[in-house]
Amino acid sequence: MTVSRKIILAASLGIILTYCAVAILAPMIAPYDPHAITGAPLSPPDREHPLGTNDLAQDIFSRLIWGTRATLLIGFLGAAIAVVLGTGIGIVSGYYGGMIDEAIMRIIDVAMTIPIFPLLLILTTFFRPGIYVIAVLMGLLGSFQGVRLIRSQVLSLAVADFVTGTKALGARDSYIMGRHILPNVLPLAGVKFVFSAQHFMLIGIGLGFLGIGDPSVVDWGQMINRASQNGAIILGLWWWLIPPGLAVTLISLALAWLGYACEDEINPRLRLLRV
Amino acid sequence: MDKALLEIRGLKVGFPTPDGLVRASDTVDLDIYPHETLGLIGETGSGKTVLSMAILRLLQPNTIIKGEIRYRGRDLLSLPEDEMRKVRGREIGVVLQNSGTSLNPVYTVGDQIAEAITLHQGLKRSSAWHRAVELLDAVRIPDPVRMARGYPHQFSGGMQERVLIAMALACNPSFLIADEPTKGLDAVTKREIIDLFREVNRDRSVLFITHDIEAARNLATRVAVIYAGEIIELGNSGVVLSEPAHPYTRGLLESLPERGMRPIPGSAPSLITPPSGCRFSPRCRCAAEDCKSEHPGLVEVGPGHYARCMLYDRG
Repeated sequence: MTVSRKIILAASLGIILTYCAVAILAPMIAPYDPHAITGAPLSPPDREHPLGTNDLAQDIFSRLIWGTRATLLIGFLGAAIAVVLGTGIGIVSGYYGGMIDEAIMRIIDVAMTIPIFPLLLILTTFFRPGIYVIAVLMGLLGSFQGVRLIRSQVLSLAVADFVTGTKALGARDSYIMGRHILPNVLPLAGVKFVFSAQHFMLIGIGLGFLGIGDPSVVDWGQMINRASQNGAIILGLWWWLIPPGLAVTLISLALAWLGYACEDEINPRLRLLRV
Repeated sequence: MDKALLEIRGLKVGFPTPDGLVRASDTVDLDIYPHETLGLIGETGSGKTVLSMAILRLLQPNTIIKGEIRYRGRDLLSLPEDEMRKVRGREIGVVLQNSGTSLNPVYTVGDQIAEAITLHQGLKRSSAWHRAVELLDAVRIPDPVRMARGYPHQFSGGMQERVLIAMALACNPSFLIADEPTKGLDAVTKREIIDLFREVNRDRSVLFITHDIEAARNLATRVAVIYAGEIIELGNSGVVLSEPAHPYTRGLLESLPERGMRPIPGSAPSLITPPSGCRFSPRCRCAAEDCKSEHPGLVEVGPGHYARCMLYDRG
């Protein structure tokens, strides 16, 4: 690894860990209750309110901190579900091959033609689900790509000599899949997890921005939505609009960097392409 | 002679392909007796590995297998999968070819040998590990305690071959299949591996698959020569490898460097549409008219020495 790549990896890990810490420690860090009226509405940043207040006189800094929870939750929970499902189904499909593989792949072919974002839009508009349900839905709908990715890797592993060798030692299929195939696809699943997390966070922000997120939680998308709907741009209220936007950009960037760095590690040929 | 440990009767193995059925094994009859080493000799693509995979039932699910493979009287081909799993590794061990890729890169070799043990024996991890180190010592890996913690990529080709032998011996099987264990090794390493096998083979029956005639001469009590999926010569290795009856075996010996390195003309025939009559006839110097129409049977040409050639099958 070159020095610059190490710096990028360290920086992205640092940013992600900081966000996680903020999300966990939100009640301790945030100076105010994110829903409480804390002073005059639309006041610019000052000592009382480091990032000012919004039109409801809520403290924007506190809301920004609490919003970390919603964004990370959607991203990481969704990605975890997508990757676990994708890896499990992908391993079974690629290992057994034949009719099982054929059936799974044709279902995935059809399922992948469904665009995730519009479907989520419709579902959330009609059912108004909570944030957990949204994350689970994203995980389910987002797992198809992972199935394909993992399956294609498992196809070659399933006929690898060491798999034949383990069969010849008298191991059962479930044992081979769990102990010999899984560890060999974990790096790929890890990279998929990072990119999925980034993707789902942005979708979550997008849903919030369109005003159809879970209204009971504070999230950056809804903050941006509220700011732009209530004239933050025209009135020049930068402290209302910019912080949630920057927060999203930074975490998204950090995840992308981390993903690329991991991808380079498991596929060294990519390094040459990116120079 | 004792009763055979493994009896193969009329074994036919076919792979369906878009171009037709590939007949990788055609009506193979073979007996392997207790404590004997049977060398199976043939060119690449002659059906050697297919035979070993058929015995272990590790061929692709769409493979067509007919005939019988009886191990200690039980027909392996009709055994339920659960029972077959107990045979693999415990009763029949195998050293696969391509030692470099036959070990999982993510586990230490100690782990992989210990795994071979625990798959069949309810041993604790620590005692399985202890046994793994003993096995590494038995296959003469220096400093086995330290090497057991090494990963496959840290081992040389000869060392990986030894690890695979240790894995195959983990449950002390009474029958061992070794599939080209000397492939791709340099002369010195090859000699060491052959010496190791000489020791290993003492306690068990072995099917030693090779295209290395020197290795077969060193290790095998009997040899079977396979051509285009058929056994064409079978007998005591001393006889077959010094006074071969079949023109193909003669050709193989003449292609050895010390015997003039004369190649056999032509190339191995298609297994989808094998030549009519004797399958070797298109490449055979002795071929007569009837060789192209009559398919010779395996005929006894000396005591325990059989050959499939019209020279001996003209009544």
